[in-house]
Amino acid sequence: MRMWTYVVRRLFLLIPVIIGVMTILFILVSAVPIPERLLSVYGANRIGYNPTVPCSELTRNLSTPGNCTNPYYTRGVQDLGLNKPVPVQWGVFMLDSLTFQWGYVDNHSFVGTQFTLLAAEPVTTVLSWFLPYTIELALLSLLIIVVVSIPLGNLSAVYRNRPIDQGSRVMSFSGYALPAFLLGTLVLMAVVLAIGPLTHWASLTCKGTTIFTDFYGSWPQAGCYPGTATYPTWLSAGQVSYPTHFPTVDAAVHGDWGIAGDTLLRMVIPALVIAYGTIAVILRFVRNSMLEVLNLDFVRTARAKGLPESQVIRRHAGRNSLNVTVTVLGLSFAFFLGGFPVIETVFGLWGVGRMLAYSILVPYDYGLIFGSTLLFTYLVVFANIIVDIIYAYLDPRVRLG
Amino acid sequence: MAAGETAEASPAVTETPVRRGRRPSPRIAQWIRTWYFFRRNTLAMLGLIVLLLMLALAIYAFAYPAPYDGLTQLCATNGGTNPAPGCLCTYPVGTAPPGPNCYQTPADFPSVIAPTFTLSPLAGGPLPLGSLTVTPGTPYFFNLYAGMVRGVDWTLMISVGIVITGALAGLLIGAVAGYYGGWVDETLMRLVDIFLSVPQILLVIIMVAVLANLPEFTSFVARIELLILAFVITWWPFYARIVRGQVLVTREQKYVEAAQANGASRARIIVRHIIPNSVYPVLVQMSLDVGTIPLLIGALVFLGFHLFPTPYFPEWGSLAALSVTNLTAFLTTCQLPSGCIIPWWQFFFPGFGVFMYAISVNFLSDGLRDALDPRLRR
Repeated sequence: MRMWTYVVRRLFLLIPVIIGVMTILFILVSAVPIPERLLSVYGANRIGYNPTVPCSELTRNLSTPGNCTNPYYTRGVQDLGLNKPVPVQWGVFMLDSLTFQWGYVDNHSFVGTQFTLLAAEPVTTVLSWFLPYTIELALLSLLIIVVVSIPLGNLSAVYRNRPIDQGSRVMSFSGYALPAFLLGTLVLMAVVLAIGPLTHWASLTCKGTTIFTDFYGSWPQAGCYPGTATYPTWLSAGQVSYPTHFPTVDAAVHGDWGIAGDTLLRMVIPALVIAYGTIAVILRFVRNSMLEVLNLDFVRTARAKGLPESQVIRRHAGRNSLNVTVTVLGLSFAFFLGGFPVIETVFGLWGVGRMLAYSILVPYDYGLIFGSTLLFTYLVVFANIIVDIIYAYLDPRVRLG
Repeated sequence: MAAGETAEASPAVTETPVRRGRRPSPRIAQWIRTWYFFRRNTLAMLGLIVLLLMLALAIYAFAYPAPYDGLTQLCATNGGTNPAPGCLCTYPVGTAPPGPNCYQTPADFPSVIAPTFTLSPLAGGPLPLGSLTVTPGTPYFFNLYAGMVRGVDWTLMISVGIVITGALAGLLIGAVAGYYGGWVDETLMRLVDIFLSVPQILLVIIMVAVLANLPEFTSFVARIELLILAFVITWWPFYARIVRGQVLVTREQKYVEAAQANGASRARIIVRHIIPNSVYPVLVQMSLDVGTIPLLIGALVFLGFHLFPTPYFPEWGSLAALSVTNLTAFLTTCQLPSGCIIPWWQFFFPGFGVFMYAISVNFLSDGLRDALDPRLRR
């Protein structure tokens, strides 16, 4: 099979997966009470919906819509097709999901009441404000993981069951087995105790003057900027940074290298904690694939023809064991883009994971929850395809067999 | 199976000539061999010992339930002149305190109670592992000892329940898909792909958030069942994929062919031959996942997600999460570094418990994999 045939075939296989995922989400969204669903689909401001009017007491029984006098309710029900057959509703849901119309932030939910700037904004807009910070954080953590895990994994495969193997296994597993919230809090405590309550610029986390309050209290500065009272013009209050929403990139674009460096510096400790927590999984894959390659015939041949051991490991075995590693790294990057709800909450970072963490607080924001799920699903599916194609490129047996 | 009966089988099987007449069946022999290799892995053995200790604690907790485990009743609400074991009590003004941990009014209760180690923790007296403040600044306590002892039950039950149910479902579906092949395989594997595309933890969140609205899931037991159900629905695809991969290898073996030639039905072949011989990789993954579940549950509780029917559910992961929340609140009010005591016991005991559980299960699964996979043995 040629490469492009493989790609096309892989893309066709995508269709049933997308349809299936949408169906699962559609079943779940159908179980949401209708008033809440209307709120998250249309946004309270836009439909003039007030939960205190009798409509909120409507049951989910649509055949008798009750004594609802709110015209927006009936219009919402009609627009969603809730009085139509289920396949029509499913179609509407599919269309909306595929065209990125994921509804609005409900302004009676926890997010809506806590962050008035976010209330009644489209979910896609909100996610696009907070995703860039998470992407930067994910890239940084992935960099740390790659730098540590590939050499360490190869070493522990070569020196199997020796002290270096056992030691790296214990270290990486202990990071994996510690709850992230506990590890993060302890690290934060240690950092604060170590450097003391210094100025904002010297502080290494996004926390403010007192240890456990957020950096300058609240949003709007998605990302983590030094809390001076006057923001630069490109960072005006009420907006996320301009123009790309990537905090570091934006600062660099506007020539404010101080802020760029500071933002990056504050990401380092959370990224280290993330890397420590996830390195065990990657390390295990690197080690095992290296072990398998080391048993193969071509390695024996390389040794037999008298190559020095270092060259055998680096040139022959190391390169060939990288296929699996690339796959795992790609998939974990997609997983990382799902945000780090716990780490971002502990360290006070404003990423997409933290928004998700807020949206599951008790007046749930269904729009944001389902929107994040759609976003992360798209990311995972997309990453799967990319990784498969890269793997097929690296290992011709996949596309030939 | 042929490999199981060769002369190079484990010494434990072949060395004793007395037993030569009744050699154990190949499958038992394989388990004996696995145990022989597993035993030599120190870390895995350590993990096994920790797990057995936890199991013993769970049986102990089942036989001697800790009083006031915080499941339905907070310890300090048991105020009265008669102090319950390990709880706080109140007594009337002008009388002598009837026991340790007794105060005149609930307002006199200290905000945190440090652990005091006594030889008989269940006897009355001080709180053995200290307390977990329910709401910082209010005189309500969670008896940490009782919560920990009660929690080992819930921790093991929830995580093992989820993993076993998920593995059974995955085993069945994966075996059917792998053995039948063709359109059955295609359909089931697309289904697996679909479930694997949605981020697992998000699917759990959505299911709990949405389905908890329904009247069917309001009772206590039903809520726990919903939690287990949500995890199982998101976890079976992993097992199904692993099993299918293994079944593709197993179904080409000679003994399957022999069974087919004997005229065994498909169901019999799957149940008696395919599944028992494809179960090993699933065992490894299962033992790995069992340790991850308390961590995930703890993370959800830490984020404030209303996962359990009561806010103070004695499960180790969620106890650790609550303690960290308390620690944060405590440190905020206490103005470090002015020198207040950090209540380390609050996060140490549940955190260490979860950590030990997860890490020993990890080592166990590592050792199991090395022992089961002949290529990795040497």
